[in-house]
Amino acid sequence: MTQAQASPIDLTLGDLARLEEVVDREALSDVCRSFFELFGLSIRVLSKDGALLADVHQEREICQYVNGLSGGATACARTVAEVKTAKPDGGPVLVGCFTGGRYRVEPIRYQGRQVGRFVIGPYLPAETRAVPRSLLEIDPGVVDDDALKALAEMPRVRPETAERLATHFRKVVDLLLFSSHRAHLTSEMHVASVREGYRELAEKTAKLQQAYNRLKELDKLKSNFLATVSHELRTPLTSIIGYSEMLEAGIAGDLGGEQREFVETIRRKGDHLLALITSLLDLSKLEQGALRLEREPLVPKDLLDEIATTFLPRAIQKTILIEVEAAENLPAIDGDPVRLRQVLSNLVDNAMKFTPDGGTILLRAVETDLVGGEDGEMGMVLMAAARPAICVEVKDSGAGMKAEELPRIFDAFYQVDGSSTREHGGAGLGLSIVKRLVEAHEGEVRVSSEVGVGTTFSVTLPAVESDL
Amino acid sequence: MIPAPMQLDFTARELTVKLVYYGPALSGKTTNLQAIHKMVQSDASGRLMTLETRDDRTLFFDLLPLSFQAGAGLSVRLKLFTVPGQVIHDATRRLVLQGADGVVFVADSQRAETRANQRAFLNMKENLRENGMQPERVPLVIQFNKRDLPDIRTDEEIDALSQKSPEPVYKAVATRGTGVVETFLGLMDRTWLHLEKEHGLEQKFDLEPSRFLKDVRQRLGFTRGGER
Repeated sequence: MTQAQASPIDLTLGDLARLEEVVDREALSDVCRSFFELFGLSIRVLSKDGALLADVHQEREICQYVNGLSGGATACARTVAEVKTAKPDGGPVLVGCFTGGRYRVEPIRYQGRQVGRFVIGPYLPAETRAVPRSLLEIDPGVVDDDALKALAEMPRVRPETAERLATHFRKVVDLLLFSSHRAHLTSEMHVASVREGYRELAEKTAKLQQAYNRLKELDKLKSNFLATVSHELRTPLTSIIGYSEMLEAGIAGDLGGEQREFVETIRRKGDHLLALITSLLDLSKLEQGALRLEREPLVPKDLLDEIATTFLPRAIQKTILIEVEAAENLPAIDGDPVRLRQVLSNLVDNAMKFTPDGGTILLRAVETDLVGGEDGEMGMVLMAAARPAICVEVKDSGAGMKAEELPRIFDAFYQVDGSSTREHGGAGLGLSIVKRLVEAHEGEVRVSSEVGVGTTFSVTLPAVESDL
Repeated sequence: MIPAPMQLDFTARELTVKLVYYGPALSGKTTNLQAIHKMVQSDASGRLMTLETRDDRTLFFDLLPLSFQAGAGLSVRLKLFTVPGQVIHDATRRLVLQGADGVVFVADSQRAETRANQRAFLNMKENLRENGMQPERVPLVIQFNKRDLPDIRTDEEIDALSQKSPEPVYKAVATRGTGVVETFLGLMDRTWLHLEKEHGLEQKFDLEPSRFLKDVRQRLGFTRGGER
């Protein structure tokens, strides 16, 4: 685990690797100082590998005294070395000094491991009365009275007191270690959790991206397939229609009553199939962005009248009333006449399918604005430039649709109710073509519907701007 | 990323074993640790460390370190962890589970918590796998906690099921300390048997057979209990 290697704490076990990386030296020194002030004993804290982490001591008079003697300094260095190398693995170690002083070396254990040690001293055992022989022998210059006077200044500690003092200090250090360790673990856990959370998210994002790319690829394949198939289907179909027209026209000889009727059916169904294939081809062209618009000013009323006229025979047959409502003086639409006729035809065709006999279809054009930008977008009041536009509505008095169905009706091949396809025909392409054509005009198409009342499609298209 | 479970230090003659208490939110994982902390001989236990709690709910983990000297001069360190039970802390749960040598699954006995137990158990298996461990190979014991509450799964029900269960099943009231030591020692048994089988520790450390488990009981002060 790389993060564990880089940090002083192993997260798997929650172990701390080195005392000095966790514990705050300032705090440790403060604790030592307060110990010194309270008990008058020098104290040092060392890490496991011997680094001095805190040191509060006072040079004793006796130390100054012996250091002034030739043999004293060497003997003192020997004692210091002994204290430094003492290994209190099994428990406290007492190191005696030739002056009669004593050092107590105590292990610092944490969570079952020795992580360092502390040294209390030097102090004199409480029972010391005379200058010890070891001090007198260190140098011929040692004067008994002077040594005794210097020793008198050393703190005297009884063994059981030394034990209690060590226990007290051990407990304080343990608490300090525990708090520091916990603080460290907490921050390490924070970082590790965030990292783990991020890793998880990144993994999921990558998977989603993969799935998305694959879907995009599939979508492209589908479009290509549609284009190819439509084209390949259209070629033989054109011949079929052409030959049936020739048969109908009697070029290959006169036809009898039933023969004529059959040929007519072949031709009519052929036309129907051709229209379907053409719309498939349109869709794939639109999806590939290969559609080119031939724009010109179109008078809304003329456009609507023309559409109404086209559908009149079917409307009469179904006793549906088609009404047109458009003022003469509306601004012209800036659009491709062929494509817009296709848009409106698809919408009216759709309305005819779902309007029951005796119903009404209303075609209405009104002046409006096209506002760019998304609703609620930041700075929209500044960014959205309004453009004069014409809104064309196709309103039927059919069965209507439920609100949850509305968002999907512009998807290619989507049918609100699969069964209506069989009843009404169509491949579910009409509305998706409408949407794409309107968007190619930088327009918008919206739908509103109420079950049992009817459906209204509103197509907003940019108008020709007179002052430009 | 294959975590290194169980740490062995031959020069220091030190063995570190990680045990994890897993389970759904509020099933009593921390309470188990608290109970052990209270019952263990004081010189064998470190402070119970609780990392980041909010409203008494564990956010990261609790850690109870136990340590003692086993036979043949072996220094043993046991690290008992709990995971945060709340669903949202999954990343933390996975981190804590890393390198577990044994797992106690603490289930809530209340009938209403049956689904939560199941979800947490599946989550544990998933997280073990994510950590590169085979769930079937991890020493596991199951504890049905909160036996003192009303509307719990009955003893008969649990007993009948545990007959068929490959893992030892324990019943507990962790708030009173009942069944906590038994669960812990049960896991210790399984974990040791597993480690022994995998690493031949008794031979490596020159331990008498089954001495280790006796030591665990004795040194921690659990001389009674621990029978299934």
